[in-house]
Amino acid sequence: MNELLFFAICFVVMALCLIFRLVKGPTIADRAITADCMEILADMALVLFALFSGRGIYLDIALVTALLGFIGSVIVARYLEGRL
Amino acid sequence: MRIAVDILIGISLFFAFAGTVGLLRMPDTFSRLQSSTNIATLGLLGVIIGGIVYSIGQYADYTMAVKLAILGVFYIITNPISGHSLTKAAYRHGIRPKDGFVCDKYGEDMENDD
Amino acid sequence: MKKAKFSAFLSTMIVCFIFWLLLTGQIVSIFKGEASIEVLIAGILASIIISLFSARFFIHEKAFYLFNPLKILCLLFYSIFIFGWELIKANIDMAFRALKPGKLKINPGIVKVPTKLKSEYGLSMLANSITLTPGTITMDIVDQGDETFLYIHWINVTVTDENEAGEAIKGTLEKWVRRIWK
Repeated sequence: MNELLFFAICFVVMALCLIFRLVKGPTIADRAITADCMEILADMALVLFALFSGRGIYLDIALVTALLGFIGSVIVARYLEGRL
Repeated sequence: MRIAVDILIGISLFFAFAGTVGLLRMPDTFSRLQSSTNIATLGLLGVIIGGIVYSIGQYADYTMAVKLAILGVFYIITNPISGHSLTKAAYRHGIRPKDGFVCDKYGEDMENDD
Repeated sequence: MKKAKFSAFLSTMIVCFIFWLLLTGQIVSIFKGEASIEVLIAGILASIIISLFSARFFIHEKAFYLFNPLKILCLLFYSIFIFGWELIKANIDMAFRALKPGKLKINPGIVKVPTKLKSEYGLSMLANSITLTPGTITMDIVDQGDETFLYIHWINVTVTDENEAGEAIKGTLEKWVRRIWK
């Protein structure tokens, strides 16, 4: 049972490694795609925690996070294209 | 059952690690965008399928399994849209790789239209 | 903005209701035989209100095209086996490309690829499949005369000719998408 928590911690550590690219990234598109990937990794850690604790309510939070990440990256893309 | 779930999540962890390393190492913006789809496809699907197996086998909770499947389908549908729009916006915004492209049909055709 | 037809409204409502059943977990209680009729009526009302607003964005062509068991079976087979196999191959290739020590072996470029698909859903399905395989991203879709072209950013350009590049990128994918959509 505990290995699910171990995997979740691995995903969170990878998301923390991506902060380097988020700070350094030369252009705004790099930052947007890195934020999207961090959101996906955090979402997977959330799914694994939901499996560990056996509560379905965390999956709803994961769905809302996925929706917000998608809308955020699409809005950044629209802004870069100059159509906002 | 536990071993199968562990193997699936391990595969997912490997591909997510490869995507992270690619995102940190790649030299230009477009290659980084390519590497990010690595995280969102097999890195995601391993966790989703493993989670479906685990939630049915361990808790017999079908609502959780259905919600996990919806989460996977939602990611599969929306992730290419955001990747495509970010790539196009980065190109239109004037971002180019330092070494240049091998061939750039899109830029040539855009110049011809103007 | 075109006005939506009644058939488009009806099929959007059916899809909305199925999605509502899955998302709220009512489908599990239907199978257990303990679903109450009031809750289901509330779901039908919610999906009617949603599809009144959103039917004109979703469907511009034949509305009941996908309500066909053969087409749905084809779609499932495509998205699980054909597309899954392509996905695994491309993922392994991309992962070792990223993890290989030393200098990175990348060769990026943008190629132009013709396609024979016509319908909106077929084009978007092909473009999404190409974007979802690591290594290729669709950048734009243009109509030039009676032909449709895709611009694809490819990380390892081996051929720059239109037809050969198309065969290398979307050879089997397009063949199967054409069996589902026109």
